[in-house]
Amino acid sequence: MTAKPDWKQTDIIHVDQPELSMTERMYLPQIFGGMKTTLRHMFKKKLRDETVVQYPEQKRQLRKEIYRGVHRLNRDDQGRVACVACFMCETACPAHCIHIEGAESPWPDREKYPIKFDIDELRCIYCGMCEEACPVDAIELTPEYHLVGGSREEMIFDKEKLLNIFDRTKDEKPRKNPNITGY
Amino acid sequence: MPKIIVDGKEIECRDKIPVLQAVLEAGGDVPHYCYHPGLSIVASCRLCLMEMKMPNPKTKAMEWTPRLFPSCQTPVKDGLEVRFESDKVKDNQTHCMEYFLLNHPLDCPVCDQAGECYLQDYSLKFGESTSRMVEPKNKNPKKDIGSKTLLYADRCVMCSRCVRFCNEVAGTGELAIINRGSRAEIDVFPGVPLENKLQGNVVDICPVGCLLDKDFLMQQRVWFLKSADSVCAGCSAGCTITVDANEGKVWRLKPRYNPGVNDWWMCDEGRFGFKYVHDPRRLNRLTVRRGAELDYPDWSALPEIVTLRLESVVKKDGAGSVAVVLSPFMACEEAWMLASMVRCIAPQAALVCGPAPMVGEDEAFPKGGNGHPAKFMIRAEKCPNKRGIEMIIAGLGGPTLSFTDFLKQAGEKKIAAAWIVGGSPTEWVGDDLKKALGHIALVIAQDIFPSAVTDAATVIVPSCSWAERSGCFVNVDGKIQPFEAGINPIEGCQRDGNYLYAVFGGEGLYSAEKVRALMAKQMPAFGQLHVPPPVPEHAH
Ligand code: SF4
Ligand code: SF4
Ligand code: SF4
Ligand code: FES
Repeated sequence: MTAKPDWKQTDIIHVDQPELSMTERMYLPQIFGGMKTTLRHMFKKKLRDETVVQYPEQKRQLRKEIYRGVHRLNRDDQGRVACVACFMCETACPAHCIHIEGAESPWPDREKYPIKFDIDELRCIYCGMCEEACPVDAIELTPEYHLVGGSREEMIFDKEKLLNIFDRTKDEKPRKNPNITGY
Repeated sequence: MPKIIVDGKEIECRDKIPVLQAVLEAGGDVPHYCYHPGLSIVASCRLCLMEMKMPNPKTKAMEWTPRLFPSCQTPVKDGLEVRFESDKVKDNQTHCMEYFLLNHPLDCPVCDQAGECYLQDYSLKFGESTSRMVEPKNKNPKKDIGSKTLLYADRCVMCSRCVRFCNEVAGTGELAIINRGSRAEIDVFPGVPLENKLQGNVVDICPVGCLLDKDFLMQQRVWFLKSADSVCAGCSAGCTITVDANEGKVWRLKPRYNPGVNDWWMCDEGRFGFKYVHDPRRLNRLTVRRGAELDYPDWSALPEIVTLRLESVVKKDGAGSVAVVLSPFMACEEAWMLASMVRCIAPQAALVCGPAPMVGEDEAFPKGGNGHPAKFMIRAEKCPNKRGIEMIIAGLGGPTLSFTDFLKQAGEKKIAAAWIVGGSPTEWVGDDLKKALGHIALVIAQDIFPSAVTDAATVIVPSCSWAERSGCFVNVDGKIQPFEAGINPIEGCQRDGNYLYAVFGGEGLYSAEKVRALMAKQMPAFGQLHVPPPVPEHAH
């Protein structure tokens, strides 16, 4: 497409880096400042116990209902994917990490459903905008946060994987508003 | 030009148009559903009502009349005073909007029209956020009314635009309103589906998501699409369109208003005829045949390859033995650059206009128009730029050949080198050309699909479809219309303008305007483009 830029040459402002002072250039005061915090935590038992979690033996206490971990795609009461492929989450997502392909649904009571639903969990910033945008509460962030994968491809979660996360987490964090949306 | 007063402001407008159109053209936003400038006026949606000043029958003083008038049905008259910014008018708008939504399923999340829907826009601007409807909604099942169109009757606002379109522009009248009142529905007659060649337009003019395109159904959300102003390459009518693309793929074409050419419409053949753009069989590698071997050089080597080869032919067989077959699918700029470049190497090179595919006869709409002037034409000449190529050939002067003479001369072995451009989405190489190819030593083929020409060619230059190029086409009436590229070329291809510009030896990067400016020095006609006037922002 022949791009029509929506900015003008005059919109460009040149900003120079501020000149560093002598002390700033030595970096030493900053380094000592950092060391001070570390040492304080090392030698005060109370502070240490409060802030250090011995992960993975110890897990952090999470507020499950609001914690923003990996996504799940909810199922309705018949076990079908609740998503109606409206693309609201894809539209709202600031990281552009959701990719959906919609199609006519095979069910008589539903118009549209996603045949493809991919989330790039590496690109996601876990902001929860998608959950906020969903008109049928089909996409939700779960309290699960140990996300590991051997490759980038593995971290692109597809529809199956996201539905599995729902099966795994539905007891821990039940679906909200199921009767409001009817899906 | 009459002057009317709208909400206390004087506006000047064209004569013999409705007040609604005048206000829209002045930049105002008046909600309307049933009014469409290309159709008859029925004033049935009642959303555009306004207050008007009329003489009091008793005192003869000008006063605001108690009743409201449809602005779509009231013609402008010098000195007419109307207002939309009044409580009465606004009340009417809110109540109309509430009424339109009584039986509406509110299924925007799954509706393809969402994002370009005038129920959404007007609800936001003129409607209320709640509905007082407590009764269960009427449920009208989805109907399959034609090969390309679906009807979601529960989303309809009964504006009857689609019915009027089929009656007045297509002339086939398949659609009708059945039942009355809140049970009214759009439908086709039993056994007579919507099957005219303009049916895609009913989807465009439907202000809501009631009529939808099967081809585009659930493919994309419209706000992801980027539109480029283009010209349809389906026939020589030169309908102006937009190419709506996302993620490097064309998803749909929509007509763009162009009075006197296609007005608001386009035909289905053009609308759905873009599929070849993403055909996997397309050529996508610059190829040079060295004996039995195939070599795939880089695009940057192309200028040198073709110049050297053409020069050696000129040295051996003389400048008159070179011919350029310009295709009526090329943009004028591309044809001009190619012809000029070959003429630089071989000043006596013959310019040939390639074959223009003809299918049937020109078709005029409305069907059975009884001698009235046609509102829409589908041309039999299925290529966009035959006039343009003829203009270029005439403008450049020098030796020219008709396509038949070119074939004859080639058969007589008078042509040693030919740059043959194709670009047709359909098979275009006839038997006579196949035979002639055997007698040409150096064939440079520029085409989008493999064909007999590319099989015989020494250099195969993959070409782009019109959706990936920019330039101008000259339509059947001689209007020179510019078009922009909607997508980037597919993997491996380069925009024809880009490599031809490099071959031509132009400075910097290719832009159609730059080349047009050069052309205009030789052929002043190309300084004058036909660009349709903008559509008022709030018209639809
Ligand atoms: S959490 Fe934010 S970044 Fe991640 S998918 Fe949702 S909207 Fe996108
Ligand atoms: S917003 Fe919800 S319903 Fe819409 S596509 Fe995303 S997950 Fe599906
Ligand atoms: S289908 Fe669309 S164009 Fe036809 S009457 Fe209904 S809203 Fe109007
Ligand atoms: S009544 Fe005027 S636009 Fe419908």
